[in-house]
Formats: sequence, structure tokens, C-alpha cells
Amino acid sequence: MNKDAQMRAAINQKLIETGERERLKELLRAKLIECGWKDQLKAHCKEVIKEKGLEHVTVDDLVAEITPKGRETGFAMLPRLVLSSRTQAILLPQPSRLLG
Amino acid sequence: MKMEEMSLSGLDNSKLEAIAQEIYADLVEDSCLGFCFEVHRAVKCGYFFLDDTDPDSMKDFEIVDQPGLDIFGQVFNQWKSKECVCPNCSRSIAASRFAPHLEKCLGMGRNSSRIANRRIANSNNMNKSESDQEDNDDINDNDWSYGSEKKAKKRKSDKNPNSPRRSKSLKHKNGELSNSDPFKYNNSTGISYETLGPEELRSLLTTQCGVISEHTKKMCTRSLRCPQHTDEQRRTVRIYFLGPSAVLPEVESSLDNDSFDMTDSQALISRLQWDGSSDLSPSDSGSSKTSENQGWGLGTNSSESRKT
Repeated sequence: MNKDAQMRAAINQKLIETGERERLKELLRAKLIECGWKDQLKAHCKEVIKEKGLEHVTVDDLVAEITPKGRETGFAMLPRLVLSSRTQAILLPQPSRLLG
Repeated sequence: MKMEEMSLSGLDNSKLEAIAQEIYADLVEDSCLGFCFEVHRAVKCGYFFLDDTDPDSMKDFEIVDQPGLDIFGQVFNQWKSKECVCPNCSRSIAASRFAPHLEKCLGMGRNSSRIANRRIANSNNMNKSESDQEDNDDINDNDWSYGSEKKAKKRKSDKNPNSPRRSKSLKHKNGELSNSDPFKYNNSTGISYETLGPEELRSLLTTQCGVISEHTKKMCTRSLRCPQHTDEQRRTVRIYFLGPSAVLPEVESSLDNDSFDMTDSQALISRLQWDGSSDLSPSDSGSSKTSENQGWGLGTNSSESRKT
């Protein structure tokens, strides 16, 4: 719905403005490394590279192969914990100012 | 306005969660992308496969998980039973005893020099006492002991018996005897008198207490005024060893009483008998001993004046 899209956009913008998004991104990266998501993904990368051959790997190839898998496993790894802290972060800025 | 009505508080929780999920998805995708860039750079720069090793060495350094072994595969007390060959004496010694053995074997290190010194002093003593005996078969030993005896005699004569220095050093070292060299080796508190010859015994009795302890059967090596033994005991010991004419060495040397000038030994013996009859037991405190000694000194002085 349009309203939701607008809402989402507004929230995103707010996050970026306050720098909260960066903070969340760093937090997420740290958590992913901790739970071994990165190592998993690295092993997958190695397989892909061995298939394709070391010399001929391109960024696009890698992205196309790895991102879907990464997204799936990332979702599986970090369910509720991160969400709740993020919802707090979202709720921090005052509601009326979101659409100002 | 419609937009103003759209406040977060108006949203219900599920929508909030949905929005949060989307934001999370965006973040994860960003991380994936970032990761891809890293990997691609690593591949192109050639350091992507650096942390891999070949499977052979991987197998060599695998973590060991067997009972009785540590993770490197080593046995726990392997070195207990190992034996090393000593390069000096070519004996095989247990590993845990190897270092002390080597110290003794090579003759280096603190302990071994101490023991060697003690042995030398011991053999000096032995040889000196043996030289007085008639039946000494070994001529070499005789020569050597004669030389050491000469040396020992010379050493003793270096110390002037009347010099004040001697009494001072004896005063300071109350319980220990470091004045006379032949007894330097003696770190314990007693000497067993059976190993001493008569000359040695005499010299010992002139400088040390010499009272034989009941339980260790050893002579006391403390000073002549040691508080653990009475003069009566000392006199008894001297009589026992040197015959009935033996006197306490305080007779011949001026230790604490500088004004004490003894000429007549018999008079002193009678004086000693008078003081010895006070008969204090060794368990008395040191203060009572010193008071007794002082009394004796005073008594001798007064009797000295009486004599003259």
C-alpha cells in the first residue's frame, strides 16, 4: 500500500539521518561474524570460486551466487534479538517529526 | 492532514514488525554485498586461499582426542621414565634427577663446592688426628697430613692469644665458632668426639663449650659461656677427656675479663668448685646464666684482690 511504502521510506530516511542505520549495520555485521554466518558464506564462496576457476571470477558472479544464500541464512541466524533492539531504535525519534 | 495522522503510535505492532523485517533484510543484503566485495578483492589480489593448507599437513596437526594424550598427541608423564646419558660419567640417569647429578658430576654449582670444601676440611681433620697415631701405614698420607698440620699450626699461631682482637671476635659470635679454622666445616651444632684425636680434643675444649649432649652424643660447639650448659658440665667433660688435671679454658685465656690475670690454676679450680656448686640446670633462662657468669667474674675479681 502506498501509505506503507511512504511509511517505510520515511523511517528509512530517519534512520539514515540520525546515523542509526550505520550503527545497526555495524551491529549486524558483528553479530553475523559471531554466529559464524560469515565463515559459512566463505566456505560457499570457496566452492563457487573453485567451480568457476580462480582467474575468471567477477563481482557479479559472486553477488549473484552468494547473496540469495546469504540472505536466507542471515534470516535464519538472527531472529528476534536484533529486531527488538531495532524497533526500539525506530521508536526513539518522535513520531510527529517523522513526517515533518 | 492525512500525512500527519500517520504517526508511529498509530501503527499496530505487526506492521511495525514487518517494517523492521524489511529494514533488517536491507541490512543483510548490504552486508552480503560488502562481503562479496571483500572476497572478490581477496581473490584478485591473491590472498583468498592463504589460510588453507594442504590436506597432508592438516592431518599432521589435527587435534588429538584420545584418552591419555593431550591435544598434541603427547603422553603426559613421558619424561618421568626417560633416561639420559651423562656426558661426563657416561651413566644413564633418570631425567628428573639429571640436573642435580650433572651439578655434582661436573663439580660446578653452589652445592657441590660447599660439599667439596666440607670434605676437604674433614679429611684435613682426619689426617691431622691420624698423624698423631703410631700406626699410620700410608706414607703419602703422613707427608700430606704433616704439611697440613704445619699449616694448621702456623695458622693458629698467627692469632695472638693476648690480642684484644681475638676476644672481640669471640664476643660478637656468641653461639657460633668461626675463629678456629679446623672447625670451619662444622655447620651442625655438635661434634662427635669419637673422631677426634687428643690434640684436637684439647684445642677444641679450649675454645668451645664441649659439653656432650645426652641425646645426640655430640659436643656442644657454642662458646665457652654458652647458656645451655653449666661450667660444672664443662669441667666434667674436660676431666673426662683430658684427665683429672684438666681445667676450664677460661683459666688460660682472657675472654671477657680483661682484668683477669690468672697465674695459679689451683686457686682457680677451687674457685670454680665454689661457683659450680650453685648447680643451675640447663633449662634455666639465659638471664640467670649471665647473672651467674657476672657473679663469677665479680667473685674472681674480688678473690683476685684478696690474693694480692
